[in-house]
Amino acid sequence: MSIKSLSPGRGVSTRDRAERRLAVRMTAPSLILMALVAAVPIGYAVWLSLNQYSVRTAGLSRFVGLENYTTALASPDWWAAFGQTFLFAGLSVSLELVLGTAMALLLNLAFKGRALLRTVVLLPYAIITVVSAITWQTMFQPNLGLVTNVLSALGLPGGDVVWLGEHGYAMAVIVLADVWKTTPFAALIILAGLQVIPAETYEAAELDGAGKWQTFLHITLPLLRPAIVLAAIFRTMDALRVFDLPFVLTRGANGTESMSMLAYTQLRENRLVGEGSALSILTFLTVMVVSVIYIRFAGGNIRDVAKEEQ
Amino acid sequence: MKVFISAGRRRLALNAAAAVMAGSMLAACGGGASSQNNGVAAADPAAGKDATGSINICGGKDASGIYKGTAEAFTKAHGKVMAKYTEIGATTDEARTQAVQRLEGKSDECDIFLTDVIWTSEFASQGWLVDQSKLVEANKDHLIPSTVETTKYEDKYWASPFFTNAGLIYYQKDKVAKPETWQQLYAEAAKAPGNSFVYQGKQYEGLTVNFLEMLYSAGGEVLDSNGEVKIDSPQTREVLDFMVKGLKDGSADRAVLTYNEDPARLAYESGNDGYQRNWPHVYRLLNETKLKGTFGVAPLPTWEGGKASGVLGGWNLAISAHSKNQAGAVAFIDFATTPEWQKHVAMDFSQAPVNEAAYSDAAVVAKMPFAKELLASVKGAKPRPISPVYPQISQAIYKNVYAVLSGTASTEDAVKSMAEEITAAKKSF
Repeated sequence: MSIKSLSPGRGVSTRDRAERRLAVRMTAPSLILMALVAAVPIGYAVWLSLNQYSVRTAGLSRFVGLENYTTALASPDWWAAFGQTFLFAGLSVSLELVLGTAMALLLNLAFKGRALLRTVVLLPYAIITVVSAITWQTMFQPNLGLVTNVLSALGLPGGDVVWLGEHGYAMAVIVLADVWKTTPFAALIILAGLQVIPAETYEAAELDGAGKWQTFLHITLPLLRPAIVLAAIFRTMDALRVFDLPFVLTRGANGTESMSMLAYTQLRENRLVGEGSALSILTFLTVMVVSVIYIRFAGGNIRDVAKEEQ
Repeated sequence: MKVFISAGRRRLALNAAAAVMAGSMLAACGGGASSQNNGVAAADPAAGKDATGSINICGGKDASGIYKGTAEAFTKAHGKVMAKYTEIGATTDEARTQAVQRLEGKSDECDIFLTDVIWTSEFASQGWLVDQSKLVEANKDHLIPSTVETTKYEDKYWASPFFTNAGLIYYQKDKVAKPETWQQLYAEAAKAPGNSFVYQGKQYEGLTVNFLEMLYSAGGEVLDSNGEVKIDSPQTREVLDFMVKGLKDGSADRAVLTYNEDPARLAYESGNDGYQRNWPHVYRLLNETKLKGTFGVAPLPTWEGGKASGVLGGWNLAISAHSKNQAGAVAFIDFATTPEWQKHVAMDFSQAPVNEAAYSDAAVVAKMPFAKELLASVKGAKPRPISPVYPQISQAIYKNVYAVLSGTASTEDAVKSMAEEITAAKKSF
């Protein structure tokens, strides 16, 4: 693009044309590579989703068009997984953003050992999700688990609850496990956003006699919005593809099956390649649509902020 | 799951397209539908004698050491064939995925695959295995019939049983009586909170097993010998209602809804329960806890007015259709299933032999004092439904049973949808 903007007028000189050809030649390898890496697997998955592959006879398949999609979309299992995945994403992402903002504000304060603490809070994020899921499972085990025992000992409600055996409680544990793990990630992105807010704005606010709360509400938060939205995009995309937490914690029992788990069951356990691929594509499209909505919203947001700054 | 399984109504145009696609697919794979089973060689029992070279046995994590141990012992005994064991996955699920990938890719890396008893029909239907009918017929006289049944698909034997597995009841002798019937077990368990029964009630394959153990002993079945769906029966309802009642009256703690094998064992080890349903390997582990000497082992109880039954687990030895040394594989299988080696299966590795005589061998009984109870469980047990779509059938069972146990579905609705989903699964293309 920059090559084009360099050309002075409408008329394209020979040199320009040669340069453009060169540009095409030079970018071609990476474009082809990107196409191979991104488009080919997706295209292949789409092709798989338009066929059915026999689970009885080796190598037998048939083209069914959109049938795998229509059966999936007519299925209560898909819509249940769809709803539950959004419920999970909504709950976990909002909690992560609120807690992440708070954490970022704390980490932004000047105190001794700040660098060390910034590293330490990232630890949960470094732990493999499956491992942390197993830990949570153990902690919430009825009778033997740490959480249930502590709750019983303190006489608090929940000690005698079979946490992973009921929908509301099971969902709470899954959300908790996710919040515990990924809040540091959200905090890190928001912290980056905090650090670019110029100190002068705070000085000006202080001169004008704004209190701590007012400063936070009218300066920090608006200027932090792009960072928060960015964290929200990353986290939402991840949350909508959630697989490992419900897989380990409940195996999808008590209505906690996610879209990805449904696709996994069909693809891996049942070897229904066509049906499973259709579910994967549907999950992919769902995540795509949500990200496009976000990016539109975030784009507007960033422009708003820019205007406010002016 | 039912909705994903195509009813298979197709218009003419699509049919034509499908035929073309199928045709090209077959050509691409160089085999398939018409030639699948005929194209696969049958294992010749005599071939093992003159075998040479090396063989590679592939399977999951060798926790008890039995796979490597058997390969080493075989290499030493045979003299001309060298066997080695390759771990291709840490868990059963992973090992299956890895095996499927190798078989789909026609890899000759593995000559023998350790196959879970429930994989037989799926693998055989895909033309991945060598027909072992002759070999099994030759060895049948020293193999327990129920274990041989797990290797059968469409009247042929596709593997040889290596070691088996069957559920047992562990019980606290000081608190509860040895269970004779399920009804008695549940009644006793309900008497005091410390008597309760722990089993595997999480939504997974283990729940299918726990449920079928009761269903089989109550005289119910999933598929009959013709493959017809028989799950919609009074027995299924009776067993489900019985299990639900058990959760309500305290025979079993609601916590079982989250238990697979290990959590069930850990809960029982805390000493707050009376009965536990689990596999034989738990015996050794319980002996390492404070419960040593306080518990007894019993075969699975009978259903009141019914018989004792159970569900077989265990691992079979299947020869890959792409093996380059089938004679060596046959030699290994012959060795692994001999009555002599089957004693070592129990003595050295604490697994359940597939040879009946091994269970009364003095050295085995010394190592496995519950050998008699285990044999009773194994002999009474039946395979899980035999079908290439077994995973879908099992999901239909455990999801619906779980829904009833957790109180989100009525027995009636669950039985209906189980039957519908299994019927639909059986229709899958």
